[in-house]
This record gives sequence, structure tokens and C-alpha cells, in this order.
Amino acid sequence: MKKFLALLLAAVMMLSLAACGNTVEEPVDDPASTDEPVVESRPNRLIYGSTTEISGDIGPGAWWTNNATDKMIRDLINDYSPITYNQGGELIVNPTICGGVESVLNEDGTKTFTVKINEGLVFSNGEPITAANYVAYALIGYSPAAAEAGAKLTAAMVEGATEYQNGEATELSGVHLIDEYTYSITIASDYVPYFYELSYASLTPLYIPMYASAPLTVVEGETGAKFEGGELVAAEIDAARWMYADAVSAGPYVIKSVDTGALEAVLEINPNYAGNFEGVKPQIQQLVIVKSDTATQFDALATGAIDVLDSLSDGTEVNTALDMVAKGGYETVSFERNGYGKIQFQCDFGPTQFQAVRHAVAYLLDRNEFANTFCQGFGSVVHGPYGLAMWMTKESEELFADEIDTYSYDPAKAVELLVADGWVLDAEGNEYVSGTRYKEVTPEEAGDYELNVTLADGRILMPLHIKWSSSEANPVSELLVTMLSEGQQTADAGMVIEQTVMTFSELLNYMYRDATQGDQYGVPTYGMYNLATNFTPIYDQSYSFSLDPQYVSLGYNTNYIFDEELDQLSMDMVYGVDPSDREGYLDLWQQFILKWNELLPEIPLYSNVYYTIYPDWLNDFVESSLWEFNQAVVYASIEGAE
Amino acid sequence: MTKYVIKRIGYMIIVFFVVSFLMYSVYNLIPSDPARAELEPLKQTLKPAEYEERYQQLREEYGLDDPIPVRYARWMGLAKDTRTDTFHGMLQGYFGFSQVYKKDVAEIIPDRMENTIFINIFSTILALGITIPLGIYCAVHKKGKIDNITQVITIIGYSIPVYIIALIFIWIFAVWLGIFPVTGSQTPGADYTGMRAFLDRLYYICLPVIVMTFGSLGGMTRYVRAAMIEALSQDYIRTARAKGLREKVVIYSHAWRNALLPVITVIIGWFLGIFGGSVIIENTFGLNGMGALYYVGLMNNDFELALSIQMFYIVVSLLGQLAMDLSYGLVDPRVRVDK
Repeated sequence: MKKFLALLLAAVMMLSLAACGNTVEEPVDDPASTDEPVVESRPNRLIYGSTTEISGDIGPGAWWTNNATDKMIRDLINDYSPITYNQGGELIVNPTICGGVESVLNEDGTKTFTVKINEGLVFSNGEPITAANYVAYALIGYSPAAAEAGAKLTAAMVEGATEYQNGEATELSGVHLIDEYTYSITIASDYVPYFYELSYASLTPLYIPMYASAPLTVVEGETGAKFEGGELVAAEIDAARWMYADAVSAGPYVIKSVDTGALEAVLEINPNYAGNFEGVKPQIQQLVIVKSDTATQFDALATGAIDVLDSLSDGTEVNTALDMVAKGGYETVSFERNGYGKIQFQCDFGPTQFQAVRHAVAYLLDRNEFANTFCQGFGSVVHGPYGLAMWMTKESEELFADEIDTYSYDPAKAVELLVADGWVLDAEGNEYVSGTRYKEVTPEEAGDYELNVTLADGRILMPLHIKWSSSEANPVSELLVTMLSEGQQTADAGMVIEQTVMTFSELLNYMYRDATQGDQYGVPTYGMYNLATNFTPIYDQSYSFSLDPQYVSLGYNTNYIFDEELDQLSMDMVYGVDPSDREGYLDLWQQFILKWNELLPEIPLYSNVYYTIYPDWLNDFVESSLWEFNQAVVYASIEGAE
Repeated sequence: MTKYVIKRIGYMIIVFFVVSFLMYSVYNLIPSDPARAELEPLKQTLKPAEYEERYQQLREEYGLDDPIPVRYARWMGLAKDTRTDTFHGMLQGYFGFSQVYKKDVAEIIPDRMENTIFINIFSTILALGITIPLGIYCAVHKKGKIDNITQVITIIGYSIPVYIIALIFIWIFAVWLGIFPVTGSQTPGADYTGMRAFLDRLYYICLPVIVMTFGSLGGMTRYVRAAMIEALSQDYIRTARAKGLREKVVIYSHAWRNALLPVITVIIGWFLGIFGGSVIIENTFGLNGMGALYYVGLMNNDFELALSIQMFYIVVSLLGQLAMDLSYGLVDPRVRVDK
């Protein structure tokens, strides 16, 4: 009996270990194989595993929700915007859709973009696409009915859209249907000039019968475009979000089915697609998007239940993917994340208001080691608010090599900076020997920081004690504790970093100083947070460092850093440069990055290297952080596809 | 009996309102700002005045500035909705609006509920079908070879978390043997209909059902066994045997009927669990059920969604308690309620 028990327990242990190991079967050599490569035939179908479940909202834009998988599906079925992004993330005019975009600066400061659509474009059902379909996007999106249905669009940008949205006007004065293939859109003066203003001209053609049962037609009225033939109804606009097989769209794929119960979407090639901005049409007949779970995704990949696992960043997952590649049958594409994990400071109170302290924290943390440990070798370090894939970064490599401060690990330098900044006292106001450093501060600098000490002689001393808010179950926080807050170098430098773990919602309340959620949140309490940020191709930091108290109180400047130059650069970079002035933009962008790097309102910790794994029968699949799966898959093909 | 049931239903209503108020208060004490979360993606495109206006509009729309009792009354449908000036809450069949899915909760739940019931009904029937006979057999043949083996297996099954069982079974049955699919609830991209679709769905839920069944074998088998051993040791069993009754009659008519009283609590609990869903199983196997939905609601601070599911669980639990109490009377005449 004992022997049996021992054997049974051993077997269970073996099975447990094996199941946790994501083991993949070795490919078996086929003895019958010859030197001639035999191309196995397979369905012309690709199964994409997404860890974000499909909610099924395929309504245009992100009018309602912005779920990543829904967005991918939406982008796969809508690609007829006259403005698009190229592989480098730059805004370009899509020649497949239009010949060009003309812009005119009007006397009142507004700017009008006129777009002439190419003739011959058709929807997935074969019906022609005209300018009216593009105008319909604005007329539906900004309509009171869409607002009633819960759509969230910023109307202030387009002339007359606010009045139209509020129901004060039946015509949208900022949008005009000029002729069958031409429309114009006028942007409010507050929003121009804008470096990315070309994006304003970008509307997506909508198939009107999907959004209204009434026979609506777009016509030009006295002041602008309007609908004729009936009225929009909120319930009908809302219903279009959940229309799948009957949806009429204009993109490389059409929806065959979306099953929110099974968390699966099936897309098929749109036979009427004219091609992307390079004229490329998809070759993979069917795309299936399914939900995958991180615990079983590699088993699903190994058994063919999933073909593609996108943007893996966890070191263990990447290593498993690379093991699978080494064993054969799979390939990976890797790319740098367009963003980073970071320490964020609040720079208007406590020790972190002093630049020297922020610099000292940076010198006390070995960021290379941090990134290497956290990303398990699949990450890198950046030194400013940029991503390595951005064209601006690529064109600034030499400048950054010479002028950017990398804040390499140097505890001695941290101490040197602190001493120079006046952190030379102890709690009694005597010369610092050991323990926590103190600095004599003015009443303005002291503020209401709760840890300040007022001596009998009236001097106010501030301790080098930074209160740090970190979210629960966060591996970055855990590593920061080991490498920074409880590191010997930090204690030796006379600095205390006190961690408080809280829910992410609470962290946001403190960060935004949101007193509506409780009085305690309105009081500046934590000088340090650890968060992450990602950039979109539209690199817009305007208002993020605003000095305007109104913007600050609304949470635009969560660093609470009030530096005129940084604010000016962040605004000028996008609002002070003509879109055609690429060099001017780049120059301001570089100045902004260098200024930011000097002020250091944040410390970038790590920028992951993402890996996407896919079978070796998937050809020509090239992805990056600026060229996502939905764009890359249009170029891909399946070897041996039936 | 009728009087008893009416009295119990009265208590249930009171308990429901008390618990629902407590739950509502707890969820609303969590420091989060749905209005701010809603506007965050639009922040870069809004000027401060517009941002502030929209923010205040949303706060008003969500009733965030009202005291909790007022919000509760509105949510429950005991007070008028300020926007529509009608009673529009739980009691009127409106379960709230999901911030994640941007649609009414009532429209989200049916798909998920169907999936959960579909999976759980099979695993419950299968588990009961195995554990009850096995538990009885082990009790009757106590200390026999099969009983010893069953004891070892059930203690292992009972001790290993279902998450690990799932991974082990996936590795054995899906990766190694290739019998079942790893994940999903239907063949990707297949457009099966009718019986073919049903069979395909059955095939896909086989592995989760096996895992759930295996995970629940240990507890129930041991429970039935213990109850039966207790019953078999009673004097009336000896009397029954002494009367010369057949062993089958002794076991099933005398012992099992008496052993059923403690077991029935667990059995009814299992049937109620059919509606509950499992966060672990559903997430591991990529199944879209109530457990996974509840998890989404909690993780995204989608409180109306999470609360609605919570309320559903409360109602099911209260009804379950009543069903349990009534079933005792059916099983054991000594506790039958006649007043």
C-alpha cells in the first residue's frame, strides 16, 4: 500500500510539474522526407489569440468604448479614411482614397480642409462610396441622437458642431458637401495650427442605412451639411454598434460573425476592398479572433487552437516563445514598446519639488539592472518621454548620445547633488552625520508637508523623506522596493522612500488630488508614484505641463511641475508649427525632450521589447509598435493556403 | 406549510433589502470616479471649460454627488430617476448600465448565463452521478481495497486546487493526447448549425466539465461516505438486518434515506452553483460565463454590472436556503413543517 501511495504521489507531482512547464512537443522527423521541401496545404485562415475579450462594440471610432480587441476589429473593417498612418507612424494622405487634401486658413482663424474622394470606391456590399458617406460620419457622430445613445465625441473642434450636437442647429456649419466626391471640414480657431491637423480632415465613410431606418440623404443646406428625409434615432444608432454579418463597411475585411458568447469574431476578405495606402490587399481569407488566457495560451498555440500571440512582454512568456521557435515551426517578430514604465513625481511639494532630489533618486536606481531584471532581458531603458520606434527618436540618436543625461547608477553623485542642494542637516538642525537628511526650507517651500520639523529658533526643516504611492499586486513596485526604497544605497544617501500600497483607484485619487472622493485626496500627500505610459502616433504633450491653474485643477498636469519653458515647448511643438514644417517640429521636440530630461518630472524605468509569435507558414508578417497586427496582416500570406 | 413559506419569503425580502443596501454601500465606498474615468480618453481634445462641464454633467448623470441612501433608492427603483422622472431600478427590471460594455446589464447577462448553465449542468449531474454511488459503495465496503484507493485519490483531488487540475488535464488531454481542445467553446471559424453546432459545443466543454467534475469528486464522495458510515452504524440498521431484509433494501431504503439529510444541503448547494460560474475555470478555458463576467466587472470598477450579478447570487442563495429547508421535510418526516 505504501509503495502504491508513493508511486501515485510521484506521478501526480510529475504531472503537476509538466503541466506548469508549457512543454511543447518535439517535432518528429519524417523518415520519408526528401530534400525537396513539401508544402503542406492548410486552410487560408489565421487564428489570433487575444487576452482582451471581445465586447462586440464595432461602432465607428471610439464613440462608445475603446476595448483593444474591438478596436482591432473596427480597424480591420474600416480603412477608407483619406488620412492614415504609414509604417513609421507618420500621418499621410491615403492615395487610394483621395488625391490630396487642401487646407485654407480663414480670416477668422478657423481652418478649412477640403478633401476630394477618388471615384470608384465601393462599400463591402458593392454600393458606391461618395463624399456624402464621409459627411454622414460627422452628421451622425455629432448628432443629438448619438449623444443620447451615449456616444462621446468632442464637438468643440469642428465649427458649428457644438450647436448641432446640442440641437440648436439642424445643419452642421463646419462640414460641407461640395459635390458628389468632395467634402470640406472647418476646424475651430482654438485648435489650429496644429502639427497633426491633417488628422482633422479624416472622416470614415458610413453606410447610412445602417444607422437609420428612415431614407436619409445628405444634402448641403444654407449653412452646412444636413440630413434630409427623416431623423436620426438614438436606438437605431446604438443598434448599429452590434450589427455584424449585416454590417456594411469599407476595409480589408468584413465581419462574418461575432459571437460574444463564445468570445469569437470571424472576419473574411472584403472582395470590394481597393487596397491600403500602398494598394496592398489582404491574402488571408479568414481571420478568427478568439479569447486566450495567459495560463494556457502556449498550449493553445502548440495545438493549433491559436496561431498568433501578439505583443508578449513578460520575460517568462517571451522565453517560452523563443523555446518554441528554437524547436521549429514558429517564428517571432520583436519590436520596442512605444512607451515605458516609470516613476512619476509630483513636483510642487515635499522633497520631490527639488530637482536635485529627483536627480538623486535617478542616480540611486540602477535602471539598466532594473529593466534587465524586470523584463528578464527583453527590455531597454529610455531617458525621456519617447519611444524607440518613433521617427523623431530615430532622427535624434546623435543628439541624444551627446546631450541627454542618462542618470547612470551613481550613489556618490546622488549624495553630491543632495549636499549641494542643502540636504546637509539632521533633525535637530545640526550637521548631517547619519540617518535621514534634512534641509532648511522657506515657508513657501515647506508648504503643508506633514513631515516638516520646525525648530525652536523658527527654522523649518524638511526631511528627505519621500512618500510613495504604489498600486497593489504590482511587480514593478516589488522590484522598486528591493532596488530602491529598501536599497542600502538609498539609506546611505540619507533618503527615505516610504511605500504605501493602495488600490489603483485610490492611487489615481491622490494623483489627481480629487477631493470629490474624500477630503484626504485633496491634500498633496505622495510625491512619488509608479505607473506606465504609452504613446500614440500623434505625439501630443500639450497641456500636460500647463501652468494654467484651471488645467492643473482638472488634472492635466499630474506632475504638478510648473516650468514655463517646458510648458511652452510642449504647446509650441504641436500648436506652433505648421504641419509641413517637419524640421521645425523635430527641433522643438528635441528641445522638449532635453528640457524634460533636465527637469526629470518622471524617471523612465523600462521599455519592453515585445514579441509576437506565429507559425512559420505565415509569410511577410512584419509588426511594430507603430504598425499593429491589423495593419501588418494585410501584407501577410499563408504558405500552402488552400 | 403555506404559512411557513409565506413567512420565510417575508424574511427573505427583508434580508434582500438589508444585504443589497450593505452591498451597494460597500461598492460605493470604494474611492473611484467613474465620471473622470469616462472622460480620461477625451482629455487631450477638450478645453478646460468643456472638460469641466462634461465632468459635472457626468457626475450628475451618474448621481455621484447624492448621498448613498438616495442613490440606493434610485438604483433599487424605490425613488424616481431624476433624469427620466420615473421609477427605473432593480425592482422594475432595470439592472443598471455597464461602463465597460456600454450597454444595459440585462443585455449582457443572458449569453453568459447560458454558457455557465450549459457547463455546470453537465458537471453537476456527472459529479453527483459518480460521487453518490461511489460514496455509498465506499461506506458499505469500508476499509476495502477500492475504499482505500478512493480515499487516496479523493484526498489528492480535494487538496489540489482546481487551477492546477485544469493545467494538468489540459496538458494530458489536449497537448499530450490531443483528444480535446485547449481553449474556447466552439471550433474557431466554423459555421456549424443545428445538431452539428450542439455537438461541437459539447466537444469543447468536455475538458472543462471533466476538470470541474474531477475537482468536486473528492469533497462529495467523502461527504457521502461519512454520512453513510454514520447511518450504517445506527441501531435501526442492525434491526433491519436482523429482520432479514435484503442488504440492498437496508442500504438504499434505510441507511441512504437517513444519510441524505446532511448530504442534501450540499446537493442543493451544487445545483444553485449551476448559475454561479467559476472565475478560474471560465478564464482558464476561455469560456464566457458568469464567473468571468463578474471578474470583469470587479476588475474594471464596473459596479452596476458587478452589483447586479451579486444581487442575482443573493436571490439565488435566499431561494436556495428556502429550498433546502423545505427539502429536509421531504426527506425526513420528523422535520416536516405543517404549520
